[in-house]
Amino acid sequence: MARASIVGAGMTKFGVHEATLPELFAEAALPAMDDAGVESDDIDAFYLGNAMGGQTENDTHLAPTLASHIGIAGVPCQRFEDACATSSNAFKHAVQDVESGLHDVVIVGGVERCTPETGLGTGEMTRIFASASHRQYEQPTGLTFPGVFALLTKRHMFEYGTTPEQLASVAVKNHAHGAHNPRAHFGRDIDVSDVLDSPIIADPFHLMDCCPFSDGASAVIVVSDDIADEFDAPVDVTGVGHGTDIIPLSDKPDFPSTMSARRAAEQAYEQADITAADVDFAEVHDCFTGAEVMASEALGLFEDGEGGPAAAEGRTYIDGDMPINPSGGLKAKGHPIGATGTAQLVELVEQLRGDAGDRQIADVETGIAHNLGGDAGTTLVSVLEVRA
Amino acid sequence: MSQIELPESLTYESWSESLKNGTLLGQECADCGHQTAAPKAACVRCGSRDIATIELETTGEVYSETTIAVSPLGFDAGFKLAVVQLGEAKTVGRVSDDVEIGDTVTLSDVFEHEGQPSPVFESVE
Ligand SMILES: [Zn+2]
Repeated sequence: MARASIVGAGMTKFGVHEATLPELFAEAALPAMDDAGVESDDIDAFYLGNAMGGQTENDTHLAPTLASHIGIAGVPCQRFEDACATSSNAFKHAVQDVESGLHDVVIVGGVERCTPETGLGTGEMTRIFASASHRQYEQPTGLTFPGVFALLTKRHMFEYGTTPEQLASVAVKNHAHGAHNPRAHFGRDIDVSDVLDSPIIADPFHLMDCCPFSDGASAVIVVSDDIADEFDAPVDVTGVGHGTDIIPLSDKPDFPSTMSARRAAEQAYEQADITAADVDFAEVHDCFTGAEVMASEALGLFEDGEGGPAAAEGRTYIDGDMPINPSGGLKAKGHPIGATGTAQLVELVEQLRGDAGDRQIADVETGIAHNLGGDAGTTLVSVLEVRA
Repeated sequence: MSQIELPESLTYESWSESLKNGTLLGQECADCGHQTAAPKAACVRCGSRDIATIELETTGEVYSETTIAVSPLGFDAGFKLAVVQLGEAKTVGRVSDDVEIGDTVTLSDVFEHEGQPSPVFESVE
């Protein structure tokens, strides 16, 4: 049974944007409202994902600012911050609040700018991203976020024999998908040698194993199950799981298992009364190629250790037996931190409505989103289904 | 191991001062036995507050490793990091030479950034 429904979705192109955070957010929020057919008076609350505006743009207390900009000043507003899982956590609270009867119509979205449009270079942005690692026991080593996922992925490679070529095949597939997504940061086809010949960022990751710094915004309109039928093409939210794991990284008992994702998936599947076998496709948090491999296993889409071979065999393409990241994922679509979680939901909505154009997956009824934050310290898994 | 007086309650300040003097302190949980190299107010596995300060082993096995080619602002690029298993605890630190998972390494130095120390390990035959 549905906990809530999504009745509107909008997002900007991900890439480089000169617009301010309020302007950029409006480019996603207003289309989401128009898609749902809701007026500003209909919106009961606003939940925002923005992870780093304070650090990157000296811009805080953003929720009421953005609400004012999009014409919904006065409603309850809340900004969420959970590293890259920021807007999925905002979404979880929107779902809970329409489910409880507190609100009927909630707008939830995210916005972030990470490109040099912020005035910050690669070194400074790398330092800000690394603020999601432990301040005392990790940051002083010079650990970066590619480094965090490199440490996780190297252990996965050691335990399961995952290869650099298998990792590269994840990037190749996501670029192929992104080429069909007009809102993707990158739309260019690449091959395995392009990945393996690109400069090393943190081994085993080459530049082309890593998602880009992107700017962008995304938003969805969440309504209670009771009123969902009053809207065109509602998509049901049947589960939202939220798992965490130990920080710092080195205290985690088992790196390749990414336990926060397993905990989140277990909760989400139980709420939706499904198993991994019922999942038709997934949007997963492929901030680095190794992250997609580990996510595909943590979600139960492949057996542990089979994520790499499955990617290399082409099983995760749009026309494969378990399509992953039809949008192009973070790798090709882009990763404006706070906008990422709700952008995954935008892709699920379009796929489940059959509106995904050249990247439409045939006959899909159940899709999941996996949005990871920090050093796999937070993961949210959401289950969306075609309304019965 | 050196004979030093171990603080009953391990703060970041005493952890970092000890590390600067070449001693890696950690904690052991009296209830579940978990050891950590990142001191906390309670055991991260079971929540127990009955945690004692211990001196960690300084030789252990590489659990994972990478080389950071693109570094954060304020750090030179091209350094190696490893997660090292020291007895029951794991810690992240720099490594001064090429290592692979499974190699044996030992605490050899301390790296300081803006007054904050991290352990440095080197491989042993
Ligand atoms: Zn314990």
